[in-house]
Amino acid sequence: MKRPFRTVQRGLAISWLSLLIVAALLAPSTVPTPDLATINQPPFHSTHWLGTTSQGLDVGMSLWQGARTLLLVSVPAALCTLLLGGFLGGIAGYWGNTGLRITRTQLVLMVAGVGLAGLLLSWFPGAGGWPWLGVPAAAGLGLLPWRNKKPSTNTWPFPVDSSILALIALVNSVPLLVLVVAVASIQRPSLAGVVALLSLTCWPTPARLMRAATLQSRSQPYIEAAQAAGLPAVRILWRHISPNALPVLLVRFPLTVAVLISLETTLSFLGVGLPPETPSWGRLLAAVRQAPANWWLMLWPGLAIAFTILSLQYIATSKEGE
Amino acid sequence: MKHLSLRFFFLVWVGMVSSCTTPATYSAPGTVRIRWARDPENLDPLVVSNTSAYEVINLTHCSLLMGREEAHDFVPWLAEAFPSVERLSDSLLLVSYRIRPEATWDNGAPVLAQDVALTLKVMNCPGLPTEMDQAMFGFIRDIRLDTADSRRFTLVCAGQSPEHIRSSGDFSILPEYILDPGRQLRTVSLTAMRQQPVQAAVQALARRYQRLRLARHPENLPGCGPYRLSAWQSGRYLTLHRKPKWWADVLSAPPAQLQAYPTTLTYQVIPDAATATLALRRNEVDIYGLMPAAEFTRLQQSAEDRKRLAFYTADSYEFLTAGFNVRRPVFQDAATRKALCFLFDVPALIKATQQGAAIPSAGLISPRVADYYNDSLPLPVFSPTQTVGLLRQAGWQRQADGRWQRKVAKGAPQVLRFGVSYRAGEPAFETAALQFRAAAAAIGIEAELRPTEQAVLSRQLQAGETDMCIRNYSGNPFSYDFTALLHSRGIGASNTMQFSSAVTDRLIEQITSTEDKQKKKLLLRKFQRVMAQEVPFSVLYFQKYRVGASRAVGRVPVSGLKPGYEAARIRPMEAPL
Repeated sequence: MKRPFRTVQRGLAISWLSLLIVAALLAPSTVPTPDLATINQPPFHSTHWLGTTSQGLDVGMSLWQGARTLLLVSVPAALCTLLLGGFLGGIAGYWGNTGLRITRTQLVLMVAGVGLAGLLLSWFPGAGGWPWLGVPAAAGLGLLPWRNKKPSTNTWPFPVDSSILALIALVNSVPLLVLVVAVASIQRPSLAGVVALLSLTCWPTPARLMRAATLQSRSQPYIEAAQAAGLPAVRILWRHISPNALPVLLVRFPLTVAVLISLETTLSFLGVGLPPETPSWGRLLAAVRQAPANWWLMLWPGLAIAFTILSLQYIATSKEGE
Repeated sequence: MKHLSLRFFFLVWVGMVSSCTTPATYSAPGTVRIRWARDPENLDPLVVSNTSAYEVINLTHCSLLMGREEAHDFVPWLAEAFPSVERLSDSLLLVSYRIRPEATWDNGAPVLAQDVALTLKVMNCPGLPTEMDQAMFGFIRDIRLDTADSRRFTLVCAGQSPEHIRSSGDFSILPEYILDPGRQLRTVSLTAMRQQPVQAAVQALARRYQRLRLARHPENLPGCGPYRLSAWQSGRYLTLHRKPKWWADVLSAPPAQLQAYPTTLTYQVIPDAATATLALRRNEVDIYGLMPAAEFTRLQQSAEDRKRLAFYTADSYEFLTAGFNVRRPVFQDAATRKALCFLFDVPALIKATQQGAAIPSAGLISPRVADYYNDSLPLPVFSPTQTVGLLRQAGWQRQADGRWQRKVAKGAPQVLRFGVSYRAGEPAFETAALQFRAAAAAIGIEAELRPTEQAVLSRQLQAGETDMCIRNYSGNPFSYDFTALLHSRGIGASNTMQFSSAVTDRLIEQITSTEDKQKKKLLLRKFQRVMAQEVPFSVLYFQKYRVGASRAVGRVPVSGLKPGYEAARIRPMEAPL
């Protein structure tokens, strides 16, 4: 009895998401023009089929263009989140606290890189996010798996796992929404900024998943064999661990997109993150605060958000079931 | 044991349910609950940072004079009468006051001229945040106390502007018995306050003032106003209690400025307009001032709300402007600024954001002030065609990619691209910005909207970091001193457009110094004409103040001056409806 119902549910979810993607791809790229002569028009009473906002924006057009904004934010942010979380979780799981040994030079380079980034930030606060790149750049430089012909005996184990777990605990110690809203309210509104912000705050969950999957794979005999054969760590991670661990992340993808859509609409509802002229479902939903009697401002974007998130969640859970 | 635990859980459940029920939506007799959009943030009388703080300071402290809209002038408040004035040589003004004999502090001591002297010394004290007072009252050079009458004194003012007469009485008087209990400052003259090295007594005053931590604890320095602060939870509420024995209570027929009826004034901070409307409808607040037009109209049209709520409007002196930072290369010429002003569709904005209830204006004087308003100037019109024409006159050329560029003497050509800043979360500002942006984008002008949090925006404006800004300015019908706003002396403080010109500087000085009404009228009209040519900002419209109030608090006296109502003069009804 349950099978036909599930098939219908699945069909509806896929149809809705397909419709959303097609609508986003076909949406006009021009910024909607407010028509102040037709504010607060109810649906089906004029040429504005789904009504207008108190700023004279057509609800139907805003929904259509908002779908594109939704995809432009959530899909790249989800990819970045999974990549960042996957990378950090992978190296944490593979190296643990003793697997990576670094030399004094590498340690000095890392500390200097972090210090330099801090100095740049304090000296040039207007330099945007560029100095932040110094931290991973320096860390990456320091951790480069140089092929030392003569392995140095003067090395220390670098606690990669503990460091990344501490970072996860640090990010998780602040509620996600509070963290995102706080950072979004101080940065200049932009699409790229929202993508970066969401990526930098939502990576802990995929990182934990990837770490667990890597830990599981690391103890397999074929990994031990690869290590014994002297294969480089990067190659083992890429060729032998990730094929087994990546499906865990891929199943997570629709759920991550759903979470990011919720966050993006929340940010837009609060009026932070995206530029005010960018059409967004959250911004459309927020318009009801200026005109509480305009039910259509709540109904259409509310339904669209609910359908999208439910569809993504259904697909994610059905994938997990499979 | 099982029954015991069941009873325990039942009790917990009942407790939780009762604690979750709707809070009481009535207030104690004599209490008036008012909605605030913002927390006062800082209640130091030297640092009045926003309208909420200004409202509290005016209820807890008294100044010598008070501006009243009904009188179209300042009226005596702590002063017994309007001051007498004497002109000394060509450059000094002697303004003589006498303090009301009834005026006393909370400890029963009379308010004396020595208190005024001390207040002026605080306003000139090194080490205290006196920048604003220096800008506003720096013209007061000295105070001369009357040896025969301890309540009489004369202020020595630089310049002979009639505006200075009124301004000389517009600061809160602070008590000497708290700030200088040892009366050590009595021997220090006002001119000696800023001299180096700083005297020990002056340093002691600064330390004592700072120890009071007035920004968060204004109760440490009670003023001689009718109310005292009893509770303040930042961002939530603030409560003022009426002093049981206020000095003006002995007056048999107190004038309006000395009336204070509510026993308690509770201000509730509700930033969101929709939540505030809900609170008013649910009887959780009694007064909602500066109400958005759409909400106001909606409640007015509801029969149920009309039964419980009363609605008031007042023509205000607050106007919406689009200001240009004239130091920015693209805005350095008046033609470009003027061209961009044609992109605001003012009638449509008034209809959309103010429900049609606002007055478009050609200048920064309200059209209601018929004597001074220059009605020969054209009202702002929406005309992108004129924008294109004027931009071409200003040397801008439209490129093949649709953008506007102009050649400059040195360096790369200028691109007509700029940011439009406004206070985030303000629907009227955002609608104006969106409409402007759409009109600009249609003819190839790149305008980036920058909604900015209020405190950040204020800092950016002062530092000259904005390009174009949509914001409100408040005026009044009795003072036409534009020095702070548009004089070159105001750059770095209130002149956020960074605008200055020799002509306007001279005109502003002439306006403030003339007493002849006919001459003032001519000067003000000329000033408006010059401003219409220079266009450091474009006035879009003068708005109305809308106040929604519970009928339970009786009639609410409204005003065209901020905050739009006079809280102290509300007479809560004995038996609420």
